[in-house]
Amino acid sequence: MTIVVAYKWAPNPQDAAVGSDGSVDFSRAKSAISEYDPVAFELARQVAEATGAEVVGVTVGDASIDTSLARKAALSRGLDRLVIVADDRLAGADSTRLAAVLAAVVRGIGDVDLVLAGESSVDVTEGQVAMTLAGQLGWLGLNAVSSVSATDGGYAIERDVPSGTASMVLTGPAVLAATTDAVLSRVPGMKDILGAAKKPVEVLSLDMLDVSSAQVTLTAVSASRPAAGNRQRVIIDGSDPTAAAAELVGALRAAKVL
Amino acid sequence: MNVSSQTWIVVADDPAVTALVVAARALSAEVTAVVAGRRATAESVAAAGVDRVLWLGEPAEGTPVEAYAPDVARTVADGAPRAVLGSSDGAGRVMLGAIAALLQAPVLSGVIAVEHDGDQIGVTRSVFGGVAERRDLVTGGPAIIALAGGDVGDPSGAAVPVEEVTANPLTTGRLTGVRKKEKAPVNLGAARTVVAVGRGLKAKADLALITGLADAIGGELACSRPLAEGVDWIPKERNVGISGQQIAPELYVAIGISGQLQHMVGVRDAGVIVAVNSDKAALIFKQCDYGIVGDLYTVVPALTAALAPKP
Repeated sequence: MTIVVAYKWAPNPQDAAVGSDGSVDFSRAKSAISEYDPVAFELARQVAEATGAEVVGVTVGDASIDTSLARKAALSRGLDRLVIVADDRLAGADSTRLAAVLAAVVRGIGDVDLVLAGESSVDVTEGQVAMTLAGQLGWLGLNAVSSVSATDGGYAIERDVPSGTASMVLTGPAVLAATTDAVLSRVPGMKDILGAAKKPVEVLSLDMLDVSSAQVTLTAVSASRPAAGNRQRVIIDGSDPTAAAAELVGALRAAKVL
Repeated sequence: MNVSSQTWIVVADDPAVTALVVAARALSAEVTAVVAGRRATAESVAAAGVDRVLWLGEPAEGTPVEAYAPDVARTVADGAPRAVLGSSDGAGRVMLGAIAALLQAPVLSGVIAVEHDGDQIGVTRSVFGGVAERRDLVTGGPAIIALAGGDVGDPSGAAVPVEEVTANPLTTGRLTGVRKKEKAPVNLGAARTVVAVGRGLKAKADLALITGLADAIGGELACSRPLAEGVDWIPKERNVGISGQQIAPELYVAIGISGQLQHMVGVRDAGVIVAVNSDKAALIFKQCDYGIVGDLYTVVPALTAALAPKP
């Protein structure tokens, strides 16, 4: 059996340059394994150690996601191999398009019974791709998964639900999005990083994949920098805490929020 | 275009739907709800001001609501609505994802406004964690929209009949039990004032400083991600940001929080933001209304004292 870790190589919007016209320029932001994804790698590795499953990393995006640094960063996190679709036609692709490409890759791998993902990407921050992938595959999709373990003929999982922790058994393929603290992710050591260079990487051409074409498209009308950036920014020196506190409390009372 | 003018809402066994109904009503005169989950949920939705309720039948014991996602998608596709609204919570995302996959349409998240633009639907969204906003026209098919669900005000309108639709839920996952939380759930979203603390706090024992301020100001305690995950000083339900809650209190006081985007996106809609941080270059000072540059260990007690009733 094979476990797929669907992850993203992405920059942090914190480091993007946002123009006054709302344009977002990521060219000076460094990409990394998306902040919420290491937990998916770790869960996959832990399950695989118990079952002997192969762990395959899958990532799709524009051409910039396939660098030697990006490959090593993923392969050093416990993958057995990596499959990449890196094509500039996927630049800025929406969640449904990314999920469609991921689904085509997962189908191509063949004997996958579990796809693990983080709860959101660090750049787009929508938390949607994994569940749309479940839709594409026709598999059960579950969010907020806090633990996964192998059982006879399937998996036992736990999920955070509003009333507490729900336990479930899975007897068929599923796409699971893990909570950010489901497991503590190991930081790759020197041995992992050196070993990463020897692991196989398969680069698939987008043209070779059976990806259904988008029916609904978005036509950009306008963009802007959010108004929330325009806060008052009254900065008070706190070297005299009592005076600073009095000034702040006075201002908050005047603003009628106290 | 063979798309009706209707708006549909999808419900994943959550009876709190008035926010979705209100948003749907603003788009079209007729609103149809597709309900996966218990009959009681369908009955409740039927009395929440919708015109039609399609219910996928009583789930067998142990069937998770997510198992109905393919049925929900097929039912929605058959109705060919102009817009589909669903909740942005965990199960809502599964339903919307299945619909998006079937109709090959994107799920639109971070939605600020939705309105008709001539013949089309225009959607304004915040993108990339809120660093920018975009307005797009949705062309070629339905607008699939994820919104914060929940109830806003009381449901209105006469109850409509619940129509049962045959469903064939996935049988690959079975619920076996729920361990209830001991404590009552926190409702940060409803709090007028929230006092949050971040990595500036040096020790768990020092939390008393922050809870003291929260009590004096009459606010709920919250935190940024490092204090809820990893060190586990504060329960996860109180985590604000991308990986936690998105809230809009009238007053948000951020103590020892640097102001990373991933946190600030959770309070973008707060009324007034106050920051206390010892680093005058902290990002939060660019995103607050009032900031005190100073050591939280001296500023917070001074604030608590300043808020205390005068003797």
